[in-house]
Amino acid sequence: MRVTKAAVLVLAAAWIVPLALLVVTPMKSFEEYAGSSQWALPHDPLQLFDNMKAAWNSAGLGPGFLASLSYGLVGAVVAIVCGALGAYAITRLEIRGRFWWFLLVFSGTLFPFQMYLIPLFQLYTDTSLYDTWLGMALFYSAIATPFCLFVMRGFFSTVEQEIEDAARLDGATSWAVLWRILMPLARGPIAVLVLFQFTWIWNDFMFGLVLSTSDGIRPVMTSLAALQGSYSTAGPPVVLAGALVGSLPTIALFLLLGRYLLSGLTLTATGRNA
Amino acid sequence: VPAPVVEAPVLAAPRERAALKVARRRRRRRRLTGYLYLLPMVALVGVFLLYPAAKTIWVSLTDANGTSAGSFVGLDNFSRLVNDPAFRTSVRNTVYWVVGALVLQVGLGLLLAIVLSNMRAGNWLKRLFYIPATLSGAAVGVIWFYVFNPDNGLLTSFLEAVGLGGLTTRWLAEPPVNTFAMIFAAMWQGLGPAMILFLVGLQNLPREPIEAARVDGAQGLRLFWHITLPLLRPMTAVVVAITMINNFKVFDLIWVMTQGGPYRSSETLAVTMYRESFVSFSVGYGASVAVVLTLVVLLLSVFYLRSMFRRVEVH
Repeated sequence: MRVTKAAVLVLAAAWIVPLALLVVTPMKSFEEYAGSSQWALPHDPLQLFDNMKAAWNSAGLGPGFLASLSYGLVGAVVAIVCGALGAYAITRLEIRGRFWWFLLVFSGTLFPFQMYLIPLFQLYTDTSLYDTWLGMALFYSAIATPFCLFVMRGFFSTVEQEIEDAARLDGATSWAVLWRILMPLARGPIAVLVLFQFTWIWNDFMFGLVLSTSDGIRPVMTSLAALQGSYSTAGPPVVLAGALVGSLPTIALFLLLGRYLLSGLTLTATGRNA
Repeated sequence: VPAPVVEAPVLAAPRERAALKVARRRRRRRRLTGYLYLLPMVALVGVFLLYPAAKTIWVSLTDANGTSAGSFVGLDNFSRLVNDPAFRTSVRNTVYWVVGALVLQVGLGLLLAIVLSNMRAGNWLKRLFYIPATLSGAAVGVIWFYVFNPDNGLLTSFLEAVGLGGLTTRWLAEPPVNTFAMIFAAMWQGLGPAMILFLVGLQNLPREPIEAARVDGAQGLRLFWHITLPLLRPMTAVVVAITMINNFKVFDLIWVMTQGGPYRSSETLAVTMYRESFVSFSVGYGASVAVVLTLVVLLLSVFYLRSMFRRVEVH
């Protein structure tokens, strides 16, 4: 057992090293980086802030950061609202083919994303949604919706019908029941969903690559790839500073709210494969 | 003939019919409300996900390119795929990715979960191993792009320092080493989630069979092999399926690290699809790659969903 524990500690050390690279390299100047091994420690760690500032101002990373912040928040909220409305209809209201509506929307999680790219690009160029804030926000909302439906449907079906019946007898409309009773009860699952969907949208690269091109619209990860790409003049310390800036929000969320993120992971595993 | 017998139904019928009409109208209105609640969700998903997915199938049957919608060519794109050396490389690399991820992420993830579940510092180590999973594929690609730098990168410097300098190569330029290098980077990112899921699975194992086996003298490896592993099977199925599906679709990491190069040597299906559609503008051909990718993923999803439903039955 002592040997296996030692092996795990060695593995843990190996896992830290690339993370350390992400933090240490941005503390070096370009000359310092080019003239020594990546293992060398920085002379002046405060260069970190210069490099972060340089990264923020190159390749649209700063505007992309702010854009992704808005996509993540708006996308998560819109998806949760749409998913909750749909879940309410499916679990509580009189409609035909409840299960089929659920399956129809949920099937949106089964396809590999490559299945969406070509027609989306065509749709966006035809309707001038291409390279707009609205186009990106709409798409991110759509892709986050099926999982929100899945979670909210699961939650609503655990809430006792009597609570709702009592409110209905007092004259509450279905709208009031949903917003005043069910949604406040669903605070836990909603927190998990916000966290999970925000992280997903924040980390997206491919749809940003296909559906946008200009600074301020292009999301943060696509900007990061541009910063690193072959047309970029930024040196490795600045590029890694950009990667650090772009990763800070999700690392911070994990360190602060890790428990919720992990329960979101378990939800994904048992409900969604994307 | 007594008159009321004839009269009563004549009088009652319209009233009943009216009441029925009101009830039906009310039900219809209530049903309409239900559909209104469905509308935003179905519209969003329909326009931005389901319509594109259906249309891709159609595009894969045409010779569409960057400027024209093309015409129907049947299965020509698919027969072209079979003889395309770039596609074959892509399929081979995709198989490397899936097998590599299975061995490294699932195998190592399981081992790690078992060791960590018995360790006092387990909670801290769990968090550490999970941190890379909170990074984006693009950020992980950027980090490992520099780790594999052949001049002063972490890996090359390390090997030179321990006297294994002869093993170094231009990691991302030399096929198939470049694919293996990227699989390794993906493992750095994907190990955490696999480990967490196994930890959840281990936590939820029934106590009695394990205790019973212990009483019967089963220990260590034997206990694990004959009791723990079979009990863990439902979760293993989930982790295997998720890992396979995710690694079938890797795009951002590869695009950032090698763009599928040099000379298309490190492409996988997802990258080939993007290159054909958005770099070469062979849109119909690219769509056919997407359809192939989808068929494989759906096939895997069937197994995955089945094991999920079986899990529900067990509970």
